[in-house]
Amino acid sequence: MTTPILEVDALEKVYTKGLLDRTPTFRLAASLRFDEPAIVGLMGPNGSGKTTLFELVTGSNTPTSGTVRVMGKDIHAVRPKERDRLAIHYHQSYQVRHFRSLKPSFLMDRAGADYPIVHLFDEPQFNTQDGYIGFMLDFFRKLRAEGRLVFLCVHPNERFHLEILEEICERFVFVQKGAVTQAPDWASLLALPQTRAYLGSLLEPTEAAA
Amino acid sequence: MALFEAVHLHKRFGSRVVLEDVSLAFEAGKVSGIMGPNGAGKTTTFNILTGRFAPDRGAIRFEGRDIAGRPPHAIARMGIARSFQLMTLFDESVVVENVMLALPAFRAAQTRVATDVFADKALMDEAREVLALVGLGHRAFQKAKDLSYGERRALEIGVALAADPKILFLDEPTSGLGAEATRSLAALVRRLRERFTIVMIEHDMRFLFELADEISVIHWGQVIAHGTPSELMANKWVRRSALAEVA
Repeated sequence: MTTPILEVDALEKVYTKGLLDRTPTFRLAASLRFDEPAIVGLMGPNGSGKTTLFELVTGSNTPTSGTVRVMGKDIHAVRPKERDRLAIHYHQSYQVRHFRSLKPSFLMDRAGADYPIVHLFDEPQFNTQDGYIGFMLDFFRKLRAEGRLVFLCVHPNERFHLEILEEICERFVFVQKGAVTQAPDWASLLALPQTRAYLGSLLEPTEAAA
Repeated sequence: MALFEAVHLHKRFGSRVVLEDVSLAFEAGKVSGIMGPNGAGKTTTFNILTGRFAPDRGAIRFEGRDIAGRPPHAIARMGIARSFQLMTLFDESVVVENVMLALPAFRAAQTRVATDVFADKALMDEAREVLALVGLGHRAFQKAKDLSYGERRALEIGVALAADPKILFLDEPTSGLGAEATRSLAALVRRLRERFTIVMIEHDMRFLFELADEISVIHWGQVIAHGTPSELMANKWVRRSALAEVA
């Protein structure tokens, strides 16, 4: 049996009102598995937990329970400074790393890789004016061709955002109110009622397209 | 072998990765361009290539010699010149003196006691030759502060060329220039390319696509695309952008 590139197993993050008042205010739950290299489109409303999911996958945020394995390695057991050698979170234009760990590094695992295997792009700035979209998409394809797993989180508010997702992503993940749903392809993503409700008028044929 | 090459450069500032495995090669006699959105790591790349910062890992080779980590003056003496995004001229001095100060022969002349170095005819001629090259021959005796913004940029390039470098790095040469000054600068780069190998970092994509033989696109601290302008232009999304009007 081959090791999945990414395995998110019964992952849960619960935010509570405070240290004493443990009433949950937000709960993210995810189980995901990716055996093959792919470009995965991720979408969902603001505040649904997309960035939290990225943080949990890259090990910059500690889960309440569950595990994240990248090439079989539990990322939360890897030395904080080496976690970005397994999975990396790009926030728009810069790379985010805020790692905190109470355990001394030397007691933790080595990443064992020099260049990250999972790349998570959090809302890259797509604008049709400057042409950078084309270069970014080619870069995602290159990473995938090298056998890596690429996540592309887009908050679609223009029709071309959907074009980009449809053109480049092979698999999809939809996040809403902390619930994470995997969709094997574009058609099944669009068939989800939550996707249709979220995208709304963007899905309607425009006059130009008609 | 390329005249100048950077191989697997890595750089972090604290917990922030600014360069991740960046490799670049600049061929002799060509104009190479580096572009990228704001915050992509362009200026850090420039500062590492020109010796201002040392990379954490990776090699920088000029004529086959590793120069990573050498001090800026040693790098300059090897024939690598750079211009600055913020101009560094002596405003109260006349234009020709700004260039004379940067001539390698000026240092030697300075050690001669009780002579007015600025009156040295050989130095003056050499500096005026540089001024003619950058199109400022007629402004030689104006004070630097009286030049237009575009002329100041040309003078800055003249100062960088005074050391007769083998490779010239330009950091955002069009920044702050209007359309007219940008056109003159493009003409200047076309003249210079016959004599010098040029590398420029530039956010003005049209300027770069018009002048560069090859372009590297930097984003997220990595080279995300590389090619000739026509290769890069073949991309469907690039053709949909405003850049398509250049071709």
